[in-house]
Amino acid sequence: MSDPFETMGVEPKFDLELDKLAERHRDLSRALHPDRYTGAPAAERRMALGKAIEVNDAYRVLKDPVRRAEAILRRVGVPVGETAEPKPSQALLMDMMDRREELADARRAKDLQAVNKLAIAVRGRERVVLDLLGRSLSTEGSAKAQALPHLGELRYLRRFLDEVSAIEEDLAT
Amino acid sequence: MQLLEIFDPKAAPKPIGIDLGTTNSLVARVRDGKPFVISDCNQEKLIPSVVHYDARGRVIVGRDAARLAAEFPRETIVSVKRFMGRGADDPETRRLGPYEFASANSAEEAKTVRFAVRGKNLTPVEVSAEILKVLRQLAEDELRSVGGVVITVPAYFDDAQRQATKDAGKIAGLDVLRLLNEPTAAALAYGLESQKNGLFAVYDLGGGTFDITILLLDNGVFQVRSTGGDSALGGDDMDRALATKILADLGAPTNPPGELVRLALDTARRIKHGLTDAPQVEAEIEVEGGSRKISVTRDEFEALVLSLVERTGVACRRALRDAGVSPAELDGVILVGGSTRVPLVQRYVEKLFGKTPLTDIDPEEVVALGAAIQADILAGTKDRADEVLLLDVLPLSLGLETMGGVVEKILPRNTTIPAGARQSFTTYADNQTGFDLHIVQGERELAVDCRSLARFVLKGIPPMPAGMARLEVMFRVDADGILGVTAKEQTTGLEQRVEVTPSYGLSDEEVEAMLMAALDHGEDDLNLRQLVEARVEAERVLQATRKALDADADLLESADERRQIDEAMLALARAIQGDKAALIRLNTEDLDRATHAWAGRRMDRAIAKAIAGRDVEQIEQTVAHAKGVDAHVAEHGHTEK
Repeated sequence: MSDPFETMGVEPKFDLELDKLAERHRDLSRALHPDRYTGAPAAERRMALGKAIEVNDAYRVLKDPVRRAEAILRRVGVPVGETAEPKPSQALLMDMMDRREELADARRAKDLQAVNKLAIAVRGRERVVLDLLGRSLSTEGSAKAQALPHLGELRYLRRFLDEVSAIEEDLAT
Repeated sequence: MQLLEIFDPKAAPKPIGIDLGTTNSLVARVRDGKPFVISDCNQEKLIPSVVHYDARGRVIVGRDAARLAAEFPRETIVSVKRFMGRGADDPETRRLGPYEFASANSAEEAKTVRFAVRGKNLTPVEVSAEILKVLRQLAEDELRSVGGVVITVPAYFDDAQRQATKDAGKIAGLDVLRLLNEPTAAALAYGLESQKNGLFAVYDLGGGTFDITILLLDNGVFQVRSTGGDSALGGDDMDRALATKILADLGAPTNPPGELVRLALDTARRIKHGLTDAPQVEAEIEVEGGSRKISVTRDEFEALVLSLVERTGVACRRALRDAGVSPAELDGVILVGGSTRVPLVQRYVEKLFGKTPLTDIDPEEVVALGAAIQADILAGTKDRADEVLLLDVLPLSLGLETMGGVVEKILPRNTTIPAGARQSFTTYADNQTGFDLHIVQGERELAVDCRSLARFVLKGIPPMPAGMARLEVMFRVDADGILGVTAKEQTTGLEQRVEVTPSYGLSDEEVEAMLMAALDHGEDDLNLRQLVEARVEAERVLQATRKALDADADLLESADERRQIDEAMLALARAIQGDKAALIRLNTEDLDRATHAWAGRRMDRAIAKAIAGRDVEQIEQTVAHAKGVDAHVAEHGHTEK
């Protein structure tokens, strides 16, 4: 996969302005979307389609803090992905296990308020971790590897929040 | 003079937009920059989506077919859209209805339901094609020649339903430029009319489908943020709920005869329409032993359909959540579809979103109008092609079945399309030479609960220990929302590629055969049509190349490159004059090759411009203009170097 920062033509940093990124995505789409090539020769149409897909994919990666962080680390040669990274700390695992149990209880009790309370706490922690992640990723070169534990934690928090929205959806229906 | 004009066979083909609806279908065009719905000879714009097959083998479509539905319930297909892309054992095909279905002889055949009509087995694709043919005729009567077509589909249509719609277009002899999602089409018509920017919800409740789309309108870019819905929920279900009550009140048996079912459904629909303005409606229904009077109040009707309307709320809330938007942040709610005329629906939407919905454009016409605008843009006839852009999304997640029948999502719902993803696999047994892949679409965790799109085996992996083979599968969803899969095995350095298009039960050959059967003189007509298609395509490519030469001639690297393009264009222009489709196609491919490298450079420039932003774009244009002058000088004999 090509580097999403290069595809989008933006500076490879964690603290991207998402509004600007959205604007860039629109500008690139104006240039590459298949609708712009309906009359073009077949090979050109295929080429544009391939590039439009690449742009959409790069945008999707950069919008997501976890994948954005991974892309930055990949650029400096730090292996990423859950199997390549160091194991998460025992403290984090215990903490997440507790929260998960509480969430499972709230789900069983169909207690939307308790679910919300848990979500608010996790979102608070998420903000802190995002800040830590941003700071460690703004260091130079391989020092960026310090970001790995924060990235690991962010993954856990995000997964938890995904589960929350699934439960919210479930309880709402 | 007048006559000559009317029958001029060389009239420039004009683009049209088609709303292929569950209950009614419409065709629209753009004239002087404004979209219009085309009326039939009775000044009717809505063509009922009803197809009747008579005893003499004739096919009747529209109002006349609708009148025959009560007498010939099994020979008259109503709401065929609900069957598109659906299998014989789909719950949808087993609901209250008067039809007889053919039994399937194979698993592949069972993937598409077939109506048994007068000794023939008809797929929903063929029935839909009959409706499209009538719409095409209607457009040809007005425009003489029809060019590219945009056909709308519910945003929530899955891959099989989209494929089926595209094939129906093909069988009807249409050049389908694009499938466009109905809510996006409606937003396009609204947005261009009102010139407003902001965040909008499009609530589209039609005859058989419900869509909710949240989109951002920003200076001509219509960006869908999320979409949701139910492709089996609409006004038909309201009719069915009321008809079930009517049948019960009449004391009908549990499996009533087709005639009675059709009668009850039609009566229910009339009552529903009446209740839009009146608090109570009376109707008479002819049954054995005389006629019976039925009276329904609006309150009774609303009690019957409330749960259906509430089902739309679930999808709306999810779409809002997916878009990360609260109702208060919306700048407007647009109502689309005939069923939004039901007062209960309007009240419900107002309560759900906390604002009065917009109904400035006729909710039954707005989708066709949007489709016509998009067709006009895609055909490149309009300047606004440079301003307007629709960025739509994948409505339902795409995934692969993994061990234990669990789905691994490859592309999540609401991903902007076109989209792609790749996934690597390896063998799990020694000397394994094949690989089973099962592609599904849907949000459920288990593959059996999702829509199965394709199941295929990749063969020919050389024997080697488990975990050694490397297999890469690439998914591509195009701008129509249709999936294509490519797989390659690269361990041995010998790359083998397999292209798979998920099938909903009809093969390309079957579609081709249906196309042949649809033509009066089979092979001859097919050849003629292929010639016309090859010409249209060639004209398009020539036009695009001329336009590109005007803009980017400076990117040609040598006089030789220019000469090759000029020669290829000349050869193609000559081939178009002839009547050999194959030759036209060959020459089109030659031009394709001659422009390929240059096209890459032009695309790189377009990307660079987009990244550099508007200021630099102007500088570039000045430079390009200056270069253009140079090129002009060079052409006239002054050598530059």
